[in-house]
Amino acid sequence: MPVTNEKDWEPKIVAFFCNWCSYAGADLAGVSRMSYPPNIRIIRVPCSSRVHPRFILRAFERGADGVLVSG
Amino acid sequence: MPRIGVFVCWCGSNIGGVLDCPQLAREAASFPGVVYSVDYKYMCSEPGQNLIIEAIKEHRLDRVVVASCSPRLHEETFRKALARAGLNPYLLEMANLREHCSWVHAKEPEKAQVKAVDLVRRAVAKAALLQPLVSSQIPVTKRCLVIGGGIAGIQCALDIADAGHEVILVEREPTIGGNMVKLDKTFPTLDCSACISTPKMVAVASHPNIKLYTYAEVAEIGGYIGNFKVKIKQKARYVDHDKCTGCGTCWEKCPSKVPDDFNGGLGTRKAIYIPFPQAVPNKPVIDANHCRVFNNKKCRVCEKLCPTGAIDYEQQDTFIDEEVGAIVVATGYELFDWTKAYGEYGYGMYPDVITGLQFERLVNAAGPTGGKIKRPSDGKEPKTVVFVKCVGSRDEAKGKSYCSRVCCMYTAKHAHQLLEKVPDSQAYIFYMDVRTPGKGYEEFYQRTVQDGAIYVRGRVSKIYQSGDKLVVRGADTLLGRPVEVKADMVVLATAMQPAAGVETTARLVGAPVDQDGFIQEAHPKLRPVETHTAGVYVAGCCQGPKDIPDTVAQASGAAAKVVGLLSHSKMSTSAMISTVNEALCTGCMLCEPVCPYKAIEPKVITERLPGQPPRERTVAAVNSGLCQGCGCCNVACRPGAIQVKGFTNEQMLAEVDAICL
Repeated sequence: MPVTNEKDWEPKIVAFFCNWCSYAGADLAGVSRMSYPPNIRIIRVPCSSRVHPRFILRAFERGADGVLVSG
Repeated sequence: MPRIGVFVCWCGSNIGGVLDCPQLAREAASFPGVVYSVDYKYMCSEPGQNLIIEAIKEHRLDRVVVASCSPRLHEETFRKALARAGLNPYLLEMANLREHCSWVHAKEPEKAQVKAVDLVRRAVAKAALLQPLVSSQIPVTKRCLVIGGGIAGIQCALDIADAGHEVILVEREPTIGGNMVKLDKTFPTLDCSACISTPKMVAVASHPNIKLYTYAEVAEIGGYIGNFKVKIKQKARYVDHDKCTGCGTCWEKCPSKVPDDFNGGLGTRKAIYIPFPQAVPNKPVIDANHCRVFNNKKCRVCEKLCPTGAIDYEQQDTFIDEEVGAIVVATGYELFDWTKAYGEYGYGMYPDVITGLQFERLVNAAGPTGGKIKRPSDGKEPKTVVFVKCVGSRDEAKGKSYCSRVCCMYTAKHAHQLLEKVPDSQAYIFYMDVRTPGKGYEEFYQRTVQDGAIYVRGRVSKIYQSGDKLVVRGADTLLGRPVEVKADMVVLATAMQPAAGVETTARLVGAPVDQDGFIQEAHPKLRPVETHTAGVYVAGCCQGPKDIPDTVAQASGAAAKVVGLLSHSKMSTSAMISTVNEALCTGCMLCEPVCPYKAIEPKVITERLPGQPPRERTVAAVNSGLCQGCGCCNVACRPGAIQVKGFTNEQMLAEVDAICL
């Protein structure tokens, strides 16, 4: 995680969302015109059990500040 | 190098109003592998799809990225467009610009634009690694199992059977008919319920394509869409139905009297019984809990009197195996047990506080009173009757949060029937709201008001006995004052809830239930009769409270889906399932226990290596009919031999890399 004192620093969050629940939930958030911060990037997986620990480590290696696995 | 085309959709102003789509398309052109990119107002429209098809041909595209709405909405649409252009449909990747970006970040368009670029970059990175996929074919057993023989199950079974497919209908009660045959009249037309449902019951029994199992339950279900294996438990009836003629001697002479569940406990039946005279099949069963023979007493009256020797006290439960291609769950509803929750209404202490279903039996000519409205305590004709709506419905504290949908209408019907049948009677209806959404429903309600029913807007806070009257205390919230009615009888419109045992059925078929225990449909609007398990459909009140017209419509809808499935002798499975690279598989079988669908089995292969004798070794094998493509096995596999097609390790890592850039 970059150590920074910048006030406008925003974390970069990578999310692995299950197609059948959380991804659909994120769709529903959109359909319901809810609003959330734009620093989350969603990757669709067929099930949260598809998320290999390697994917999470790779995200951190590539500069993600947080990883969210939801299913 | 792949030749990727990127198609950015405006979705009118849904995406185009927040994001700069032309800029996105220009940016996408710089991503590796992209040879063509364009934006368009409505990519899913006919001209939009043609634009994709033309571009595929003109620019020799071999991978397509559509940046538009959720793939859950239009992935199929665009896959078909790819297929029309002669491209394998699985060479498509979508970027979700609408649900995951423009709609949720409408207030921050600049940041949304940055995110949108990332989302498109991710889709391009994955697209570059996509492989053409083909689905495999599995056979379809052209037979359907319908669980539950109420009006939903009956309608569904008849529709499927009429279309020429075999149906196995399983009902746990001794007769089919469910709750509908208990009703007297049906709103808003006041059709006689039995007159319209019993002919359907007879049609089920006599249909050459329907095999009916009553007094039976589904014990086990295995397999998958097109190929389910079902074990049905036929409970012992202690009456041989092959010999029985249904003459009725046994139940006339049986000395044991039991409270009659069919009449809501208002009358009695015998220990050997048919639930009601028009039961299908019209042959009795012995209720072993109440029969004297099973309680070590002397009796055997029915055995002695039966002219055909059909009584068999030694009969055992039997199990029957059936194979089906589709399953419809139509297990129906029961009433919420108000006696455990509503102390202020007496916890069921007062015999003259009854439920709507009991009232149905009281006004029913086939009921315990022969259709004369008599109150249970002393058999007097009630002159003043209070109807209380929303008992258990719309009451999170004591019952259910949902509206049961039928109570407003059947209460109006009950009030109408009371006013019609009992001279000088008074009907008071305590309500929260009057909801009449249905054809002719509002008109029926207005008619009841004109008949003289008194509607009081407010809840009842207390019911207590005073002499031979029930005092009902409540509030009229429109007038803002307390109300007290001295009533002869009180009818509670209790909530509908899923019939007992729905969780077991749901678990057997692998369908989830919602927070209230109703079976969850696959999509509330667009897939209302399907469940999340392929090949399993839902009809009637086990999916949510509904009235008879809606139930019948849903049952026919489920039947249409089943007929659609059974009209093919083979079906293609999902292409995005696990596949084993046998060269890498070590046969450790770690994948087998993690698979929730039991889709993986060991398989012995013979390997021929140059210069060595052939040798046998074990590898994992995936059943394409069972695999749902979840990817558990993919993660468990140490050598990386099992991969989910369309979600391979390589593809996923490329996505992570692209999205983190």
